Amino acid sequence: MEDKQVRDESLAVEENLDNQEMDNQELDDQKLDDQLDSLIEEAVLETESQKPRQKMRLESFKRGAYHEQGWLFVLPAVLLMCVFTFYPIINTFVSAFKVGYKPLDSAYELKWGFENFVRVLRGDTGTGGANFARCFWNTLAFTFISVPVSTLLALLISVALNSIKVLQKAYQTIFFLPYLTNALAMGAVFATLFNVVGTGNTVETVGLINVLLGRTADNYINWINLGSDIWANRFVVIIYEIWSGLPFKILILFSALQNVNKQYYDAAKVDGASKSTILWKITVPLISPMLSYLLITGIMGGMKVYTAVVGLFGESMGQEYEVGTMVGYLYNYIEKGETGYAAAGSLILFGIIMIITLINLYVSKKRVHY
Amino acid sequence: MRISIENLTKIFPSRHKAGENVTAVNDMCIEIPSGKLVGLLGPSGCGKSTTLFMLSGLEKPTSGHIIFEDEDVTTLAPEKRGIGLVFQNYALYPHMTVEQNIMFPLVNMRLPKEEARQRALEAAELVQIEELLTRKPSELSGGQQQRVAIARALVKMPNVLLLDEPLSNLDARLRLQTREEIKRIQRATGITTVFVTHDQEEAMSICDQMVVMKLGVVQQMGEPQEIYDNPNNLFVANFLGTPPINIFKGKVENGGIYIGDEKVGETNVGDQEVFIGIRPEGFIYDPMGALTVNVQNVEVMGRDKTVVSTHPSSTKPTIRSIIDSDIKLPKDALQLKFNIKPNKLFLFNAETEERIYDGR
Ligand SMILES: Nc1ncnc2c1ncn2[C@@H]1O[C@H](COP(=O)(O)OP(=O)(O)O)[C@@H](O)[C@H]1O
Ligand SMILES: [Mg+2]
Repeated sequence: MEDKQVRDESLAVEENLDNQEMDNQELDDQKLDDQLDSLIEEAVLETESQKPRQKMRLESFKRGAYHEQGWLFVLPAVLLMCVFTFYPIINTFVSAFKVGYKPLDSAYELKWGFENFVRVLRGDTGTGGANFARCFWNTLAFTFISVPVSTLLALLISVALNSIKVLQKAYQTIFFLPYLTNALAMGAVFATLFNVVGTGNTVETVGLINVLLGRTADNYINWINLGSDIWANRFVVIIYEIWSGLPFKILILFSALQNVNKQYYDAAKVDGASKSTILWKITVPLISPMLSYLLITGIMGGMKVYTAVVGLFGESMGQEYEVGTMVGYLYNYIEKGETGYAAAGSLILFGIIMIITLINLYVSKKRVHY
Repeated sequence: MRISIENLTKIFPSRHKAGENVTAVNDMCIEIPSGKLVGLLGPSGCGKSTTLFMLSGLEKPTSGHIIFEDEDVTTLAPEKRGIGLVFQNYALYPHMTVEQNIMFPLVNMRLPKEEARQRALEAAELVQIEELLTRKPSELSGGQQQRVAIARALVKMPNVLLLDEPLSNLDARLRLQTREEIKRIQRATGITTVFVTHDQEEAMSICDQMVVMKLGVVQQMGEPQEIYDNPNNLFVANFLGTPPINIFKGKVENGGIYIGDEKVGETNVGDQEVFIGIRPEGFIYDPMGALTVNVQNVEVMGRDKTVVSTHPSSTKPTIRSIIDSDIKLPKDALQLKFNIKPNKLFLFNAETEERIYDGR
């Protein structure tokens, strides 16, 4: 484009010269030559300056001279992120470290300190909300039981699914369906399954699960109702978590299995490996990257369990928040207007997830075959 | 261990309802003598791997029998057959070290760990990879992986060793070297070995016996030289030898073999249309020779030279004739004349492409 322009210009110069020659016949040769030279010089300068100019542009881009324009392009995204990501993160830190922070207080007048953290960890928030330690242990119990069990089940189911030939697609669909169901709705269904309707001597139904276990009004297990044991509660949540975690895990593991070269199985058969040896010594190591991915994301997700508990036990997460989780704890204190405690709790949660993930990564680096 | 294959047939049902079934192996009957290296040779897709997998027990035959010595193993599970199998792309377990790979069959046999380790080391020494034992397969070259695969197959001291195109993933130089190696290992162990390949040179160079297959059907079995010198049909003649045999359309008339109007030999078979196969080394330069060809160029290889020429009756675009480098050819001749060595000339039926044997 620019090259062409330059060429056009030099053409124009020549034309110009022709005209001058025509008009001023008596113009002496010396003068003409001078003019010619200077015009040509100009044109040449113009062409030659193109290359350095382009080079300059590139270098100035590297130096950052064009950043004003670049910022303009990403401005909408940056603005949105500032409002919805960066500001909240900064604000979380501020409110966590401002002693006694509440949304409507002026944070500037409060003093900095770790008191929010201390009170959260000690459990003396003085407002009668959820207890952090209990929420922490609940969350750990939910996560570290349900994620491994669910992953193992998903592994066995996908191995079975992979080995059947008829109706494979149909089963695949059935196993994936729960993934598309709303968590709160599933929680409500689970609550119904475990619910005992009626009080004292006038029990109307002990719930489907008790019926399946052969329990009656005399010896039913109180899963979720008033006066139920915390481990019964936790058991229900864990079953729910195992079940709801299956579809995604099966989907991932099934496709990982389908990608395993069939020849490894043939080789193992010739080598006299039993079915279980093939599963544990060949299949599992070969899909271990996917297993580790599922464990890591599963644990990260498990640390954030909340909706399931609300679906099963209502917003009070039991009678007095006794089935509460760490995320439940945050919501609880935000609701109470105790943003300082919520922020401190969320930073603790952040730290815990980070430590667990680092351990995960360290372990998987040693044990996973990539 | 002697292996008898009796009327072995494998039909793969079609995946689609409308499609045709594939007959991968068709009524195969062969005897594999004990302690020999036998090559299964044929073009890609002719059923060599399928035959091998049926021998290993990984594929079930549609019909027919496989007999090891005197035992019918047709329905026996792979691990009970006492075979070692080397896959075309080795199928080494990528998550195990070389040692773990080699030990895997022994661990499955519940051998004590120390004994398993000792035997793995011996197998590794046999294929000369003992210094690689701690590596993972991904840290090995193709040739090394191949040795590991052979060691894994040999470590359980199988009665039969099955190799599926073991050299096809190696570069040309390594291929030459490794095929000698396979021959050496086979000799050293005396294990009956079946070796699958599509490369006739490979098969000819190391096999004691060779089975040539085409579209699932055995064409010929015998010692390599014997098959080369006496091909059963046009396919076998064509498949063996580099450069390949030259084939002409011709006829037999009154005991003379004619290519066009030129009489290139004599026979006592009846008058008929025939395909005439002449090996490249079957040409003798003679200014008064019987067959006239139009010269394209002469390739000088040092040891010998190849005349590349054309002929209107040739079924291939060019004819290759190998002659001694001492023989002086007229410079820039457009045409050359050759006599044909009778033992390098074969007649084939023009329709069935079966060999027509001279009655003499
Ligand atoms: N599992 C299978 N299903 C259907 N057809 C197959 C299967 N395995 C091989 N075949 C077919 O059988 C024929 C022989 O295959 P194969 O034994 O692998 O040939 P080769 O090893 O000689 O190249 C081919 O036409 C191939 O497409
Ligand atoms: Mg094959």
